[in-house]
Amino acid sequence: MRSDTEIRAELRTFVRRHAGQVAVTDDMPLFTLRVLRSVHLPELIILLERLRGAPIDVEQLRMGDFDGIDAMMASFGGRP
Amino acid sequence: MSALATALAQVSETADRLSRLSARAHQNPYTLVDWPSAVDPDRDWYGTPEYVSLHGTPVWEGLDDTARRRVAFHEAAGFFSLNIHGEKALIQGLAARLYRSDLAGSAGYLHHFLDEENKHSVYFGGFCTRYARVHRSRQAPFGTDRPRDVDDLLFFAKTLIFEEIVDHYNRVQARDVRLHPLARFINDNHHREEARHLVFGRRLVTALWQAGQWDARTVAEIRDDLGRFVTATWRGYYHPDVYADAGLDDPWELAETAWSAPAQRAHRRRVSADCLRFLATAGVLTEEPADAF
Repeated sequence: MRSDTEIRAELRTFVRRHAGQVAVTDDMPLFTLRVLRSVHLPELIILLERLRGAPIDVEQLRMGDFDGIDAMMASFGGRP
Repeated sequence: MSALATALAQVSETADRLSRLSARAHQNPYTLVDWPSAVDPDRDWYGTPEYVSLHGTPVWEGLDDTARRRVAFHEAAGFFSLNIHGEKALIQGLAARLYRSDLAGSAGYLHHFLDEENKHSVYFGGFCTRYARVHRSRQAPFGTDRPRDVDDLLFFAKTLIFEEIVDHYNRVQARDVRLHPLARFINDNHHREEARHLVFGRRLVTALWQAGQWDARTVAEIRDDLGRFVTATWRGYYHPDVYADAGLDDPWELAETAWSAPAQRAHRRRVSADCLRFLATAGVLTEEPADAF
C-alpha cells in the first residue's frame, strides 16, 4: 500500500508521459483540456488499481473523477 | 453523405455475400452446446498454456502442472470475459448505427453482425456464469465529442483490432488437442463466425479511411487513439482478478511483472503482427503502437 505522496508522484509521471509539451499542474483539468483522452482511461485505471491495491468499479465512474491529479487523488487516493 | 455511408456503399457486394453466408450459418446458441454439469480446472486444460499471460515468466516456471492448469482455467474465464465486454461495446455501437438516417440502406449486414455478436456472448457468458465468473471490465463507458465521421472510423477500426487479436487466440486454442472439448468448441465456433466479421472489418476500415477527409491534426489524433487502443486491449489480458482467483499472491504487481516480461512483449508483438501489417498497408497506422510491446 503506497502513501498518497507516492500515488501522486506516480500519477504525475503517467500524465507527463502522455502530455507532450504541456506543462502539467495538479489542479489542471486534464480531460477537459484534452491533455488526456478517454483512450487513456484503461491504462490509468490499471495504474490506479495497482497503486492503491484495490479494484475500481468502472460502472460507477464519472469523467470528473479523472479530470486532474487532484481530482483523482480525491476519488481514488488513500485506502479504498 | 457521411464517410461511413460512402464506405458501406463501396463494400456492399461483400456485405451482401457475407449476409448470405450468415443466413446459411445461422445457429441457436441455446441448443448447440451440451454444458457439462461441472468442470475440473485442476485436471483439464481450458486455455493453451503457451498463451497464458504468465507464460515465460519466473512465476510460471515456479508453478506445477496442476497450478498451471488452474491459472489457464481462470484465464480462459478472463479471456471469455474480455470477449463479453468487447462484444457489449460492439453491440452498442452497431445498434447506434442501425437505421441511422444516412445508413438505412445498409441495415442488412448490420443486423447479422449484431445478432452474431449477441450469440457469441451467450457462449462466453454461459461458460463464465456456470463455472467461474464474468470478470469486470476496465473500459470506462464515457462518450466523446468527436465528429461523427471520426467516431465511425474509430469504432470500426477498434472493433477490427479487438477481433483480430481475439481471433488469433481462438484459432490457436480451437486446434489445441490438449484442451477440454468445451473450450475447443467455444474457441472454434467463435473463430468460424468471426471470419465473416474480419473480412467485413478489413474492407470497411480501408474504405472508411479512404473516404474520410481529415486534416493532419485529426489524422494524428486518430493514429494516437488507435495505438493507445492496441495497448489498452492487450492490458486487458493481464487481469489481476484472474490471478487472484487462481490463488496467486499480489495480483496487481503480478499483472505488471507479466506485462513487462520480455517473453510476453514478444508474444504480443507476434500475435498483433497480422493486424498491424494490415493497418499499416491501409495507411491507417504509420508507427508501432507506443508502449504495447
